[in-house]
Amino acid sequence: MQAASLGIPFQPVRGLFGTDVAADGGFATVRDPYSGELVYVVPRIRPEWAVLHVHEADEQGNARLYGSPGYDLVMAEAAAHVILTTERLVSSEEFRAHPEQTKIPGIFVSAVAVVAGGASPCGCMPDYDVDPKGIHAYLQAAGSEAALAAYLDRVNP
Amino acid sequence: MGPGPSEWMAVALARTIRDGEVVAQGVNSVLASLGILLARATHAPSLTWITIAGGIDPVLSELPDSSASPAWLAGSCAILSNPEFYRLAMRGGVDRMFLGAAQIDQRARLNLSVIGDRGRPRVRLSGGGGAAVLAQVVRHIVVWRTRHTPEVFVPKVDFVTAQGNIEAVVTPLGVLGPQDGRLMLQARFPGVAVEAVKARTGFPVLPEAPVPVLEPTEEELRILSDLDPGRQRDLEFPRAAG
Repeated sequence: MQAASLGIPFQPVRGLFGTDVAADGGFATVRDPYSGELVYVVPRIRPEWAVLHVHEADEQGNARLYGSPGYDLVMAEAAAHVILTTERLVSSEEFRAHPEQTKIPGIFVSAVAVVAGGASPCGCMPDYDVDPKGIHAYLQAAGSEAALAAYLDRVNP
Repeated sequence: MGPGPSEWMAVALARTIRDGEVVAQGVNSVLASLGILLARATHAPSLTWITIAGGIDPVLSELPDSSASPAWLAGSCAILSNPEFYRLAMRGGVDRMFLGAAQIDQRARLNLSVIGDRGRPRVRLSGGGGAAVLAQVVRHIVVWRTRHTPEVFVPKVDFVTAQGNIEAVVTPLGVLGPQDGRLMLQARFPGVAVEAVKARTGFPVLPEAPVPVLEPTEEELRILSDLDPGRQRDLEFPRAAG
């Protein structure tokens, strides 16, 4: 996805030598044309859509994330289209007052949906922690279509 | 109750760390986290700790109860995104990392991917995360596993998820390390006979020289019990008999 965010076809990465991860992935090596060093290159992944959950967004899709951004920022750049779900809708005036706090600019974003608690039963730090009972309930339900449908009705009435 | 494998392992993990190092750990890493906290409280006060949540040098008085807890960020001076962490590691900025593994072989190769035939695996595991890269860019890799059996320590792993800078493997029996490219027993815990390690390892593991015993100090044990009063360090030992 780093390669996709840069608009290039592949990304050199360190490591991977002697692993089945490289073999199974069909990853190729290339020689650095400048130093002659051998490096693995992995093909880009360009998702059609990225769906990212954020803490605060405005109606234009500008977004703030607190806690660790994980891979969200590179996914926002790699995907052709981005949908945000947000804990809270915040005014554009608030974003314009503190533009340096915007982590994902609205120009990357196609749609915003307000979904409070949208990361549950996983966590959305620092708003709420992982819910172990919720994870357990999901795992119990995930075994069958009917149980999963009932679970989804229950958590998202 | 006297010290047991969880205390020995935390102490052994802590002692691998040298003062001043940049140290990182992954998810579900209670023993590794405890080892880092212990090292910081004893011989390595100026280590830099990057937690799984990306927090740099959190101020924790005791262990949070989940590896995803926001408590891992408490008091951190900065939060790294995952790409920032991998970029730091790839340019050589991480000195030491603690990794788990389902299988470990004689040549210190790690399997975190599949057990059995890779096309039709008996068990499909969660995968290595970034281990295939990290084990070759982080200078010192320390592996820990709370089960020491011939099923874990195999002559040849079913799938090579990662290999590279493996410096030590810590188990409930002791510490293995590479000698001429082969994992050998380097230290054993109190009361552990070398014959027991031999019997529970799927490849020749005993060196010709005598194997020293790693004894925790009173201070290490006292600090461990302060850091982890709820004994989360025992959580990784579901099968008491190993």
